[in-house]
Amino acid sequence: MMLQSLALTLLCSAILVLQGCSAWQVNQAAASLAVAGPQATLDRLQPLVPANRDLAQYKLNTGVLKLYLGDWQGSRQDLAEAKSILQFAQAVSVTENLAALTANETLRTYNGTPTDQVLVHVMLALGYLLEGDLDGARVEMLQANVTMQQLAKEDSTAGQLASARFMAGLIYELNGEWDDALISYRRCYSILRDRSEPIPQALQTGLLNLTRRQGFQQEYQQFSQQFGREAHSPSADEGEWFLVYLDGVVSSKTETRISVFDAEVDTMVSVVMPHYRNSTYLPRELTLAGEVQRQRSGILENLEARAREDLEAERAKILAAATVRAVAKYKMVQEAQSKNDFSGILMNIATVVSEQADVRSWNMLPASIQVARITTSLKVPVNVLEKGQALPALAEFSRRGRAVVLASSLTDQVYVWPALPEPTESGETHAAQ
Amino acid sequence: MKHWILLSAALLLAACATSVERVAPDSTIDLSGAWNDTDSRLVAEEMIQDALSRPWIGEFAGRTGKRPVVIVGTVRNLSHEHINVKTFVADMERALINSGRVDFVASRDDRGEVRDERMDQDLNAREDTRNAAGQELGADFMMQGQINTIIDVEGKEQVRYYQVDLTLISMADNRKVWLGQKKIKKYVKNAKLRY
Repeated sequence: MMLQSLALTLLCSAILVLQGCSAWQVNQAAASLAVAGPQATLDRLQPLVPANRDLAQYKLNTGVLKLYLGDWQGSRQDLAEAKSILQFAQAVSVTENLAALTANETLRTYNGTPTDQVLVHVMLALGYLLEGDLDGARVEMLQANVTMQQLAKEDSTAGQLASARFMAGLIYELNGEWDDALISYRRCYSILRDRSEPIPQALQTGLLNLTRRQGFQQEYQQFSQQFGREAHSPSADEGEWFLVYLDGVVSSKTETRISVFDAEVDTMVSVVMPHYRNSTYLPRELTLAGEVQRQRSGILENLEARAREDLEAERAKILAAATVRAVAKYKMVQEAQSKNDFSGILMNIATVVSEQADVRSWNMLPASIQVARITTSLKVPVNVLEKGQALPALAEFSRRGRAVVLASSLTDQVYVWPALPEPTESGETHAAQ
Repeated sequence: MKHWILLSAALLLAACATSVERVAPDSTIDLSGAWNDTDSRLVAEEMIQDALSRPWIGEFAGRTGKRPVVIVGTVRNLSHEHINVKTFVADMERALINSGRVDFVASRDDRGEVRDERMDQDLNAREDTRNAAGQELGADFMMQGQINTIIDVEGKEQVRYYQVDLTLISMADNRKVWLGQKKIKKYVKNAKLRY
């Protein structure tokens, strides 16, 4: 009787989990984000009421959608909430572990991958910057540095993001903190080199300009030789444009189920693992064009790769937990069968249905973060070519002679820091609020 | 048995309920280890005490025969946290004004609104109640500053070091007449386990 009740409880919980699983609905919305666009996806997410354990994933996604849409305050609010949950959830929960080992992994609070934990600071920094709060953006990059320090391991680059280092360098440069900017660009370079990934031209420019400016002649010569070009720091009547381009949508996890039927004891055993399908992402670039210089954006962070690396790093742990769970569930079914057949069948159904892979992820992120950087005359407008957007000359709106452009492949809008004086004639360029 | 189960359930639910307790504004409650109202208050108190005990006020008053006029410039947050610097700057302004030894004039952000109002008065207010433009009090000193942090982290343990620096600069000759500094150090251990 007791076992029957337990089986029924497990079955009901499994059905409830399946029905009310906001994570599943979030994944469905993520799958159609590239076609539906961020506004329609946000409209689809907003009526959902996620369970507390899924709240971080939900807020990360709504936060990044709001960032694509230029809602800086909303984005900041959601991402800050998600960040605080991620930090809280780093402590191991006794009850959640127990639940995960007896039912499934989705009963744990979503605590984010190492990439999520760092990238949340990058996205927040972008929001602060585009809202005009450079110091706020700087705070986020300092926090990203602490998070990366906590995640650092000697034998792995997990949680070490080139995009976070580059953004920190950019923000330091905008603040005129050249030495800190150079340190961040160097770290960005080291991460890309360790991963054998190409060095985007924007980073090359940063390294060349700053090593020469700070007087590191030997290092400058090495970079100059490696990149095959010289530094070109802006002269008094020139300024710089930085482009941060968020391209595509990162893949969502799916699950692989292996079920084995043991005919001798009439028991079905299931092991379910999360996995990523092979990536079909084809990067698209964006071109920033001045009067003389033009540059296509280069990939700084391949988030498709990062997502897969993070899952791979967790695979052994997930498999171990799934195995322990399978053994525990098998024992429960055996126990139930020894009482009577009906209990055994009920328990077996419950254990199979309740076995679910944790396919939650920050799946509305871009597939890649790309950057470009050009020097132009202060009096010459620039174009974001593929978007057909013309931006006014720096002299018209930037006291510092620098501007940052944020664009996403999901919208036609382009956002600029510092705020543009007023929209261009086409009315399509939006100033940072 | 049933009663015990019901009682346990009730206790469990009670533990989950939100509870609110009124506490004194100057009580110290540290939750996360981040910058909080107590830090802000400690910094303001220390800075005020220091600023009022230094010779710059007396020297200025002796030389000019009037109270120094101060304007608050930028206090930059260069720390690892989103700190609202306006709270302790406001605390300082209040205490310095109330001391009767210093005058403050509106900061760049605040005075825009005042000027708009003055222009509006020009158009809409009765002549005998209008305030003329060009009669503002010029500042003798500007207060600037920054908050810096150094964070050392290892696993779940952190040492957070805050340093607040404020400077008073003479508008006449760029002389720094007062440097205030307050340091706060915290050792934070984050929980490894949760319920």
